[in-house]
Amino acid sequence: MAYYPEPVARLIDALQRLPGIGPKTAQRLTFYMLKRPPDEVRELGDALLAVKEKITYCRTCFNVTDEDPCRLCSDPRRDEHVICVVEEPNDLLAMERTGEYRGRYHVLLGALSPLDGIGPDDLKIRELLARLEGRETTEVILATNPNVEGEATALYLAKLLRPLAVRITRIARGLPVGGDLEYADQVTLSKALEGRREIS
Amino acid sequence: MALGKSSAVVIGSFPLGESDRVVTFFSREYGKVRGVARASRRPRSRFAGALELFTVGELVFFDTGRSELLRIDHFDVVRPLARLRESLERLGHASWMVECVNRLTGERDPHAALYGLLTRGLRSMEVAPPGRVALSFVARCLDQTGHRPRLDACVECGRRAPFPRARLGEGGLVCEACAPCLPGLVPISPAATAALERLRGAPWEDVIGTPLGRTEGELKTVLDAHMTRLIGMAPRATKFLREVRRLSKIAGDRA
Repeated sequence: MAYYPEPVARLIDALQRLPGIGPKTAQRLTFYMLKRPPDEVRELGDALLAVKEKITYCRTCFNVTDEDPCRLCSDPRRDEHVICVVEEPNDLLAMERTGEYRGRYHVLLGALSPLDGIGPDDLKIRELLARLEGRETTEVILATNPNVEGEATALYLAKLLRPLAVRITRIARGLPVGGDLEYADQVTLSKALEGRREIS
Repeated sequence: MALGKSSAVVIGSFPLGESDRVVTFFSREYGKVRGVARASRRPRSRFAGALELFTVGELVFFDTGRSELLRIDHFDVVRPLARLRESLERLGHASWMVECVNRLTGERDPHAALYGLLTRGLRSMEVAPPGRVALSFVARCLDQTGHRPRLDACVECGRRAPFPRARLGEGGLVCEACAPCLPGLVPISPAATAALERLRGAPWEDVIGTPLGRTEGELKTVLDAHMTRLIGMAPRATKFLREVRRLSKIAGDRA
């Protein structure tokens, strides 16, 4: 990148360190920003800095937040007897978008992965246990992803929490709404059959 | 652009971009191959749950020739082997097996015998004790990949086994006299040496049907150390298995 002026080369280098961005995309983004008005670029720079300076993890649920405890943990209208365990803050947002769930959350910040060497100590499992001890939690919903890592995490948590006299539930697995039965694979279909419900 | 087809097992994957995934397969015809499965992380993906770890299926891909990564066209499930993902112990041991294959083989290096061994091992693990299946598999996998440790004599001085206080090194057994000059050796008892010999030589059904007794733990340690030497790091699945064992203890204490 010797033929680029130093600030341009620096920005390309910084952008291509982001996930999913290769050298070509980094160059395209850099030249796009060169064409934008200074105020717009400054706004982007300020937003990037603010994310690092003002955002932290909630000490209770480990969601990303600008105030500790986060709005979800300090909202008295939410049911504190139910905790929904998710892998990442994005999963929490997906759950919130349903508008169906009114309990509290716990974000693990990852999932167990035997092939990546991610074990329980790398997740916020100890903190979940601390939350459950001495509180009147009646149900823990395991809403980890329905893949190998998510299932392993749910299995692990179910085993760990079983002695705690708390109802442990797992979100349902099966066919997506609007999906076609003929394109479903064997595992998805068998899970859908396992979790079938009577129509009232 | 070449079209390729082969029976294959999913031995790993990681997310790529917003909705794609890079999947590693161990295939009968092409050995280890990696490819991009476009949009496979979307809920209504045509791949659905087919690309989950350990799934055995029929792989169809395009090799563009411009990249090391293939373009995965489809993967039809033949055996989902879902039971391996429904128990932490099975998951850990099966992960240890696929990690060995992934790390001990090169890309696009066909190895039909190893493919057969892997699918047989994974199928057996659905019903047989996972620890025993994994040990039998890894002992044979080392043979298939050219890392068979010599167990009949000291690899340094040629002294015939058995001998007291034997250790296992890179090439095989090392006697007490030669051990001080070699780093990273692991002690191995005569019983474990005999069990290891049986694991790699006896018929598969006999091996997985016969308990290993007290040598099982020792063999796991020995083979793990051997793997660590070969791949330059401790197998990651070993850490997971350790955590699972710790959990069983905690859960037992709490109950």
